[in-house]
Amino acid sequence: MRIVPFPTDEPLPGQETWTAELEAALRGESQRPDARAWRELRDDVRALAPAMTPAFEVRLAQELERRGALEGSAREAETRMHSHDSARSPRRISTGDTSASLSGAFARRRRGSWSLASHRRSALAATATVTVALVATLLILGSHGSTPAVESPAPMQRTPGAALSPGARGPKATAPSSRSSTPTPSATSEGSSASTGAQASPSIAAPSATGAFSAPGRVQQLAASITLDSSPQNLQVTSDQVAQLTVRDGGYVQSSNVQVQRQGASEATLALRLPSARLAAALAAIARLAPVRAENQSLQDITGAYNAAHRQLSDAEAEQRALLHALAAASTEAQIDSLHTRLAASRTAITRAQSSVNSISARASTSEVEVSILGDTRAGNEGLTFHKGFHDAGQILLVVVIAILILAAVLVPLALLIAGVAGTRRTWRRYQRERALDAP
Amino acid sequence: MHGYLISLLGDRSTAEDLTALAFERLYRSRLRLDRRRGTPRAWLFSIARNAALDELRQRRRRTSYDLGENLVDDRASGDALEDVERRATVLDALASLPLRERELVLLKFHGQLSNGELARALGISESNAGTRLHRALTQLRKHCAEAGHEEVA
Repeated sequence: MRIVPFPTDEPLPGQETWTAELEAALRGESQRPDARAWRELRDDVRALAPAMTPAFEVRLAQELERRGALEGSAREAETRMHSHDSARSPRRISTGDTSASLSGAFARRRRGSWSLASHRRSALAATATVTVALVATLLILGSHGSTPAVESPAPMQRTPGAALSPGARGPKATAPSSRSSTPTPSATSEGSSASTGAQASPSIAAPSATGAFSAPGRVQQLAASITLDSSPQNLQVTSDQVAQLTVRDGGYVQSSNVQVQRQGASEATLALRLPSARLAAALAAIARLAPVRAENQSLQDITGAYNAAHRQLSDAEAEQRALLHALAAASTEAQIDSLHTRLAASRTAITRAQSSVNSISARASTSEVEVSILGDTRAGNEGLTFHKGFHDAGQILLVVVIAILILAAVLVPLALLIAGVAGTRRTWRRYQRERALDAP
Repeated sequence: MHGYLISLLGDRSTAEDLTALAFERLYRSRLRLDRRRGTPRAWLFSIARNAALDELRQRRRRTSYDLGENLVDDRASGDALEDVERRATVLDALASLPLRERELVLLKFHGQLSNGELARALGISESNAGTRLHRALTQLRKHCAEAGHEEVA
């Protein structure tokens, strides 16, 4: 087994002084006889090595200049080569100076590159920071993406739905709507009906008004239900505001039930009757009172029933007019009595038909709206508040930390393994190189 | 550096190749240069040394000088006979050193490296580099003295 002796790290006695004297001697700062001997020995050792040939020096300089490491060095080397040719003294060319100048040039180049790399790193770090901030902002806003759209629907975006004027006797033309949402309505032979609804989930937009299914010349019955989120403390206030809005829009509260509990969920339910013409505006106003959890609107076409009732009324009125004409022309008591009886029956039929028409008209002109208000204790935290923002930011950071931990769990062992392999390889290569110096 | 390589390898063409290779590697690794870890000169000689040792390892042969060629060059250059003889003595003394110590002397004199730069090039501590340099130069002077190089001794 070959034992390679390693010199100790401890400096030899007087080594520091010896080193200082040697360095001073080699730098030419000392003029002692011993210093002159050191310089002479150095020059002799350096003179033993043949000088770099001028051709190689030029080639090396050209190669470095081609790579952009040096500028003008090739011309300088050529000049020196020519001067060398004229002097015919290869030893006069100092290879040490060439190396020093090349090394210095590399150092200058490196500083420039480092400066550029430093700027790139700064720009990269700034870009990464901005990107992370943007992603975080988008995530925070994305988590609220559904809430603002539902809890504060813009009234201007709501197209008033199909409506009939209260007391209208004939079929009313309804304004066509330009709503973009196109849910699939279900139709029946008598009355086609359609409904739209949305849960307050991030992926579903706010429900559209029923005007999307209205058609000119049709009589339609509208209905809607809306569920609001509120806190238990605001439940009663919100209910009162809903009632006030209903009255303001020409409707009324058909029934209401407000249940407030200190512990547990509180809830209020209001059954409203609103003019169909004001339904969309009323719903928009209600939706502004509190965040909307769910909204549903439905439409039923009652044109057939309306037309039938209207025909019955017309028929009864025509019959009454015919009976009155017959009564005017009657000459006998029996005919008069019979016509009076039939007129009475006709008036009853007219009244019944008129009532039916009024009832159907009322159904068309008035919409049923059911408002549910949930007094969730967490509802107070809804909305884009600083608290919610910080909470979401914390959640995002948590997710990021978890992702980093997962990545670290994979990458750190891998990096350690790679570092270990690289270190071992480096140590082995160094050992092999050092062995080359010990070769016999 | 060229002198260091040609002295260590004893082969001009290889020394030229490795000189170019060292500069090319230095250029490639210029972004990794860290002045806190050493001067560019030490970095360059470290690269050259690694390349030389790789070359030595591949060749698996001892370095030798073509003394005759050098003497012919010296004479052709018109140097004094006394200088030529002194250099021959130094050459013998240098050749008698173990390769590890000879390399240290070459690095010191050709590269003009400080002890810190030597340590960086060799991958050892500065104190260790100083100790080894002290021993190598002491041995060189001793061999020179034994060979009758009175000026150095």
